[in-house]
Parts: sequence; structure tokens; C-alpha cells
Amino acid sequence: MTDKINRRRFLQFSAASLLGATASAAGAPAGPDTSPATPFIAGLSSRQAPLPRASGPRVVVVGGGWAGLTLAKYLKRFQPKFDVVLIDRHALFVSCPLSNLWMAQQIPLEFLAHSYLDAARNNDYLFFNATVIDLDRGARRLHTEQGYIHYDYLVLAPGIDYDYARLGVDDPADEYALRTDYPAGFTGASELLTIKNKLQGFKGGTFLLTVPAGNYRCMAAPYERACMAAAIFRKRGIKGRVLLLDMNPDVRIKRDGFLNAFKTFYPDIIQYETSVGISAIDPRKRELSTDFDDYGFDDAAIYPPVRASRLLERLELADMNTPQKEARIDPFKYHLLGDEHVYICGDARSQPFSKSGNTANSEAKYVAEVIVAHADGRAIPWRSPQTMCFSGVHIDPLEAMSIIAFYRYDKRQKTFAFDRTHMVEKWSARIGQAGLAWGEGMYRDMFYG
Amino acid sequence: MHGIISKPSTLTRVLIAAAIGACMTMRATWAEPISITLEFEPDLDNGRQVYAICATCHLPEGWGNADGTYPQLAGQHRNVLIRQLLNIRDGKRDNPLMYPFVQERTIGGYQSLADVVAYIATLPMTPEHDLGPWAEGSEEYTTGQRIYASHCAACHGPEGLGNNSHYYPRLQGQHYSYMVRQIDLVKRILRRVDPAMEAVVKTLDDTQLRYVLNYVSRLPVAKQDLAPSIDWRNPDFR
Repeated sequence: MTDKINRRRFLQFSAASLLGATASAAGAPAGPDTSPATPFIAGLSSRQAPLPRASGPRVVVVGGGWAGLTLAKYLKRFQPKFDVVLIDRHALFVSCPLSNLWMAQQIPLEFLAHSYLDAARNNDYLFFNATVIDLDRGARRLHTEQGYIHYDYLVLAPGIDYDYARLGVDDPADEYALRTDYPAGFTGASELLTIKNKLQGFKGGTFLLTVPAGNYRCMAAPYERACMAAAIFRKRGIKGRVLLLDMNPDVRIKRDGFLNAFKTFYPDIIQYETSVGISAIDPRKRELSTDFDDYGFDDAAIYPPVRASRLLERLELADMNTPQKEARIDPFKYHLLGDEHVYICGDARSQPFSKSGNTANSEAKYVAEVIVAHADGRAIPWRSPQTMCFSGVHIDPLEAMSIIAFYRYDKRQKTFAFDRTHMVEKWSARIGQAGLAWGEGMYRDMFYG
Repeated sequence: MHGIISKPSTLTRVLIAAAIGACMTMRATWAEPISITLEFEPDLDNGRQVYAICATCHLPEGWGNADGTYPQLAGQHRNVLIRQLLNIRDGKRDNPLMYPFVQERTIGGYQSLADVVAYIATLPMTPEHDLGPWAEGSEEYTTGQRIYASHCAACHGPEGLGNNSHYYPRLQGQHYSYMVRQIDLVKRILRRVDPAMEAVVKTLDDTQLRYVLNYVSRLPVAKQDLAPSIDWRNPDFR
């Protein structure tokens, strides 16, 4: 219960403060005479968030990542009558995709960092820098720490959280130590800056990187990061070894390309081990144990398995029986089963699509059209998201590989499978440049276009 | 750039129009656009190498998607392709995702553009593009046929072959879903096209547009322009 608002208590307080609320237009907290002991947070349930009055049907998008930013823009573009609000608890966007290249000094931080205010101004929606704390689907109210917002449609695009328990780490102190001292670098700017500082300041020895099992975010990133870390150590002239421990039996994507790159460029730096069953990690002793071996390390970025964002669990939408704790949604229309006014998009989705920025961006355009069509009483045919990813393997100049893949629904297996794919495992500077163009186009699409 | 070459059929023409801003002078004549035409002899081998960048999204075959998110590029006229590249490059055609790819820093200068469009024009087309919902002989098909003859054929040709020297796109073989999406953008003025084309789109209602696009999607493509099968893969990228 530590990080979960006790829903029953919260709703009780909400009711109490509603009864005690004055009819003040300013939405002042409940009068002190009726509920003197009401905590601040409960008073929020009767207060509207400080936003302009809705100018049309209000669509609220939670999560300003690749899915949320794209949704907000295209909902407004496809249906100008919509009043779109994008909510994120962060005030600044920093891109996870391409961050490995920034760590290796191939691009500046300005390439990755973008303003939510620009996104909102350029695309004619509202940005609300707030934290979601509860959801009342009956009343179509989304509660934030700054008050509630009424919605006609709600899209949750909260992304992922780490699941350290699946690494065998149950002690909160150990989990805290891992999160802080050896961050994974897949959910936030501070993690990325810390890893860059670690790599650029590494004094030598063993730098541990791990590849989780399951459908983790950004399939190719751990292998790319191994290449970038090795390239950094070589450029800095330090005696550093990159120990890449993979919980999977083989490289998950661009296999031949990555194995070839490890061998061609970094044979003396990268040590790659597969099928590593991690049984314990001791962050203080800097030791990782498997059933067969113990590995010591001097520094690390440890990537645990992932799950859907804990926000879904807090809002009581997550199916806790699924391995990655996603919500139950219609796999073609993305709405919660039984509620066509609440949608889930991006890496928190329950479909097995690759969790990547490009997947989220292409999917969000489709989901925006689904919602616009629903509001018009229409339906549109399903279309596949597209997964596209560039992986740097060499720096100065940047050389990269690429893959693009689509999905089709297999009716017999009742699941999604890769459809057409085009993989370029022969790296080149041309594809490296294309990768940067890809990123630039994506940021342009989400923030400036 | 190779200057003026005597075999115009092998050339891709690149038209660059430059306007001198009216605010710089009171003399109206200075505000007239200046048009110059540069001609390039395409280098197919370089075009193939440049196409590697395009193929990261458009795939080696350039066949597009049946869901309408990508057009069939294969077999399109070179001038039509290069005009789209230039329009996207200078922001006249809004395509934020493609914009950085067509800048000089990524794809190269005019010569590279000429090379890559010449290469794309040589690619065989998909034998199975997306068709509209109404079969030949249906009332919707016949209505579309009639609208095509009266509104479209003058520029795009009775067979939908378009015209390279006039920059009229080849329509035959294009995905129905792609054309529906684009025409919808034109209708909502989210994509600007030739004024004559904009006028036609304005004249027709949504149903008429669907009928005519259905007819267009069913215009036959000459067999020699098609790949032998849907399983054909571009050997240049094997």
C-alpha cells in the first residue's frame, strides 16, 4: 500500500468533502467547519483542475511519451472540435530512443530534449503538468493532484515500469539500491544522465549490462548500448570490459548483425553470455549470481524485466494475472473491455507488439482515428502499427543497422505475428544518418509539425 | 550535374523556383518568381545506393501498404517523384516524418534525388495492390468510370498512365486506401496540390470520390510493368 492510494479511504473522503463543499465558483476547499480533519488530497476530489473550460468534447490523454504526444496531436488534427488535454507528471520530454548515441557523444542533448509547451502550442491542445491519482469511470472524472478533469474520452498511455521482482529482488532496500546505483535507463531522463556519466567516467574494470526476458522496451537497445559502451571505453583509452548478460537464449533482434559487430569491432571489450538465469544480485558487493556462476562487476546498468505502468494497477485496471500486468483491452480497438470511452495505447498495451517509440507513434495515429470515428458513430478497419528501429554499432562516424516490421493477426493462433519485415544487418554510415533523420522526423511530428 | 545533355529521354528534369521577397523592394517586378530548370543525367547505380535510405521505410520493393499508410512508389514517373521529394523537402507537402530524410544532409543533393527517382521508376510494381470495394460492372464502378472520364482522364489519361513531362502522376496500380487517405487530406486542405486537382476534389462529394477512386484502383496495369508474383523480392537488396 505504500505507493498506492487506498481507494476506499480516498472515495470516503471524497464523499465527505463533497458534502461539505461550498458552491464557490473558485472551487475552494471544503469549509473548515464541516471537515476540519479532511486531508488536503481528499479536498481535491471536489475541485476542478485549473484548466480552461472545455471548448468541445474533451479527450484527456495521460502520458506524454511517444504514444501520448502523437495521440494528442492527431486527435486534434483529425477532429478539430475535440478539446484535447495531454497530462504528464514531467515538465520536460527527454527521448529514450537514440539516447545510446547521445551517451557516445554522437548527438547533443538538445537532439533528445523537447518542450511540452511547444508541442501543445504548435498542435493546438492543452498540456497539463500534473500527476494522475484516481479515476472515476462512472462519472468520467480523472483525478489529479491539482483537481479533477471531466472527460468524454480518456486515453491512458503511461508506458512501462520495471519489475525487479522478476530478477529475484524482493527486498525494497535492494530494489532501491538497484534503481539508484545501477539504473536501467529505459524510463526517464535522470537514469539516462546517470548512465552517461557512468560510462564517460568509468575508470576501468567490468561494466555490467543485462538484457531482460519477456517483452521488454526497445528490443535492440541493450545490444546497441553494449556497442556504444565499448566504443566509449576505446575512445577514452581505458581498460574496460563490457559484460553483457542476456537472460534470453540468443540475441533478440538483428542477431547476425550484432554478433558480427561484437566480433568485428569489440572482440577484446564485449563479453556476451546467453541464457543467463539471474538468481540474485547483491548491489553492495557488486555481485550477480546465476545457477552456475557468480559475476563480479565494477559498475553496471541493470535492465530488469518490465510490466505495464503501475498507474494501471493503481487505477484498478490492470489484470494482475498477466505476466506483465496489462489491462484487458480490445486488441483491435484499444478500448477497455466494456468501456468504449477509455483507451490504452503505447507500451502499456496488452498486445505483444514490440515496445518502441516508432510502434507507439504509428499505433497512436490509428487509435486517434478510432476515437474520432467512434465519436462520429463510425468504425474504421484495423491497421498494423509499424516497428522500426535503427541500431548504432560504431561511432565517429556513426554506423548503424535497421529493421522495419509490420504485424498481422493470426486467426488460428489468436495472436499477432510479424508480417513484412526488412532488416539491414550490414551496417553503414548511410543507415546511421538515416537513423538520425528518423529521430528528427519523429520529434518534428510530435512537437513541431 | 552534367549540364545539358542531348538525349532528353534519359533526363530527369528538376525545376527549382526561387522567389525574391516582395518586402525587399517596392518594385513589383522584383517579386516575380524566377524559375530555372536544371537537368541531370541519372546514375542508376547511385540511385540504388541512395534508395537504401528510402527502403528503411518504403521497403526494397517500394510497393506501399494495402492499409494506405505508404504509397506504391514503384513504376511512378520520375518527375512526379522528384516533385514530391522537393515539395516535402521545402515543406510545401507536410510530412514531418519524411522531412529530414529528404534533406541534403541525409539523401544528398539534386543529383542524388535525380538518381533515386530514376531507380524507383525502374522497379516492377506489385501484382496485388489494394482495390476498392466495388467490382467491375457494379453500379458504383460504372459511376466511378463516368466521373473518371469527365473529371480525371484529361490529365491522368484514359488508362491512368499520367504524364511524366507534365508531372501528372500515374494512378494505375496505386493502393485504393492510399488514394482515399490523400484525397481526404486534399478535401480538408491538409495537403495542397495543383489548383486544377484541388478544384476537381472540391466539385465531387465524398461518395463520388470513393466511386472514382474505386474505378482508378481497378485500372489495369500492363503485365510487363508488374513483378512476376507477390513473393518477388528486389534482388538489389538481398
